[in-house]
Amino acid sequence: MNNNKTKRALLGSGALALLGLAAVPLPAQALDGADIIRQRCLACHSETGDAAAPFSRISEQRKTPEGWMTTLNRMQSQRGLEISVEEKRALIKYLSDNQGLAPAETAEHRYLLEQTPNVVDNPAPAYAEMCARCHSGARFALQRRSEDEWRNLVHFHMGQFPTLEFHALSRDRAWFDIALNDTVPQLAKEFPLQSAAWQQWQQAEKPKLAGSWAVAGYLPGKGAFDGRLTVRDSGDDRYSVLIEGRYADGSPLSGGGSAVVYAGYEWRANLTVDGIKMRQVLAASEDGSRLRGRQFQRNANEIGGELTAVRADRPAILSVTPSYIKHGETRQITLAGSQLGGKLALGSGLELLKVIARSDSRVTLLVRADANTEVGMRTLRVGKATAELALYDALARVEITPDDSIARVGGNGGPIPKVRSSYRALGYAAGADGQPGTDDDLRLGYMPASWSLKPFDEIAEHDNDLKYAGTIDADGIFTPGDAGLNPERKMSTNNVGNLTVVGTVQDGDNAVSGEAHLLVTVQDFVKSPLQ
Amino acid sequence: MKHLKSFNKKAIMLDQAVADGNAEEVVAMQSIVGCTSTNDPGWEVDPFGGLGSLCQPMESDLYGCADACWWPAQVPDTMSTHPNWSQDVAKANQDWRKLDSIFPEDE
Repeated sequence: MNNNKTKRALLGSGALALLGLAAVPLPAQALDGADIIRQRCLACHSETGDAAAPFSRISEQRKTPEGWMTTLNRMQSQRGLEISVEEKRALIKYLSDNQGLAPAETAEHRYLLEQTPNVVDNPAPAYAEMCARCHSGARFALQRRSEDEWRNLVHFHMGQFPTLEFHALSRDRAWFDIALNDTVPQLAKEFPLQSAAWQQWQQAEKPKLAGSWAVAGYLPGKGAFDGRLTVRDSGDDRYSVLIEGRYADGSPLSGGGSAVVYAGYEWRANLTVDGIKMRQVLAASEDGSRLRGRQFQRNANEIGGELTAVRADRPAILSVTPSYIKHGETRQITLAGSQLGGKLALGSGLELLKVIARSDSRVTLLVRADANTEVGMRTLRVGKATAELALYDALARVEITPDDSIARVGGNGGPIPKVRSSYRALGYAAGADGQPGTDDDLRLGYMPASWSLKPFDEIAEHDNDLKYAGTIDADGIFTPGDAGLNPERKMSTNNVGNLTVVGTVQDGDNAVSGEAHLLVTVQDFVKSPLQ
Repeated sequence: MKHLKSFNKKAIMLDQAVADGNAEEVVAMQSIVGCTSTNDPGWEVDPFGGLGSLCQPMESDLYGCADACWWPAQVPDTMSTHPNWSQDVAKANQDWRKLDSIFPEDE
């Protein structure tokens, strides 16, 4: 930033660039964020002369990387910003690093960054009736603005989407006054530009993420996996990434790519894993010992699952597969993690019959559970690493996750792909009181299930939704029907449907089912990095 | 409602909801993230948490949503933000395959 004048003099076309008339690429060495703002944004924004907030409006906001990307996308499509791909990347990085969010400020809202589908959020009523009518609760909760900037956001909505005056919850109340006089001050107080969390995080030493990591996670259609993530420093918060491992069924997993870390902890990696383009959205813990988040298909972000990684040089158990054993049962249990060379110890009522396989990162045991022991969680130990295993008497109930969900029709020759939905069965034993559905239920973990669909209600049955809306496969992945009008249906209705997803888990001779609601609905024509 | 008679399915459902005392039991604010809860009648979910009150087939009334900027977070608003989104598609119910989503992808 100290040599701005030199760079601008060298460019010699400052005035032209300021007017935004030409996106002449800046020289490579000039890809400093503040320089890019000066060259690309000052046709509309201005320099304030205040070192603490040097650019009008821009300096009055803090956002996540996806939030800044959304802003720049809008500036390009709506406001005539001309910027090269390289400059845009550099600017998103600069703004996320210098005007980002602290780990504590994103912790409650990571589902949106992680593109987790089928989340039901519950913003406070004042926000639910104003902002979350159209957006997720996290869309605004992942922004920090001065009060003036929150107010400008209201005016932007009024100007850009004037017919919102006629929406329910606008036309039936003095919404504009409420937005300006009530909502804006509340947003400014709850999501302020200045915060202790951000000030502290800016001063904190940021974790270095290069090294070897033990990793475990889940992918719909493939199942649980574990392995190693090898991260090499490429400089400037960029890393090369290799992932090697295997799925619970023994099949291998292999891939690689690159990552960028924003704001010192926001890990964004693009990888190709087994030929499929994947994205990782992870948060590094503040001490740099753990990465946690979600990995998903880049072209179908609803197909993904949780991912956790810990430093491979420390003892840790990341996964226990399966995470349950029944009274009197003999079962193979696999522990995956790092530094698993220590002494093995199982909890009471569990007998180690055999060590089937053992390495530093994976231990497979043959374990028998006593038939009469107390039901409850047992702590498994491998040296200093510990994990929990549920010892249960009978499967009492099954929860299907997510319990409320949507899928969207697509394909059929059109450009918008189908949006699928995927389900898992989470088993519980009744616990000490013998009553399922009470607080003392014992969580057993995810269990294999068989899957079926049925109409959600009489209307769905009458409209024959089951025939048209889609199908569910053996892995619990629902694929919706084709897009477009269907002349076979009444009034050529789309292949939408209101369905119940049924997952059935076999527990000895006993079959236990759980249900989830699925709405198969129409396409979403506007896709934002943050919905 | 003395002088009004419900005529179509949606109106009958609304009448029924009023008769059952359920007019206030709207599912708005509880819908899945990404679903609008501006239920007028709703883009992907109706006020009753189902699909019965949505415009169907969607394509027949799509431009009624797009031109009026009704669900700008779900349907491109051709009033201000995406004026050219549907310019080459005169009839959405015939040429819906030509309508793409708005997704700024730059990587």
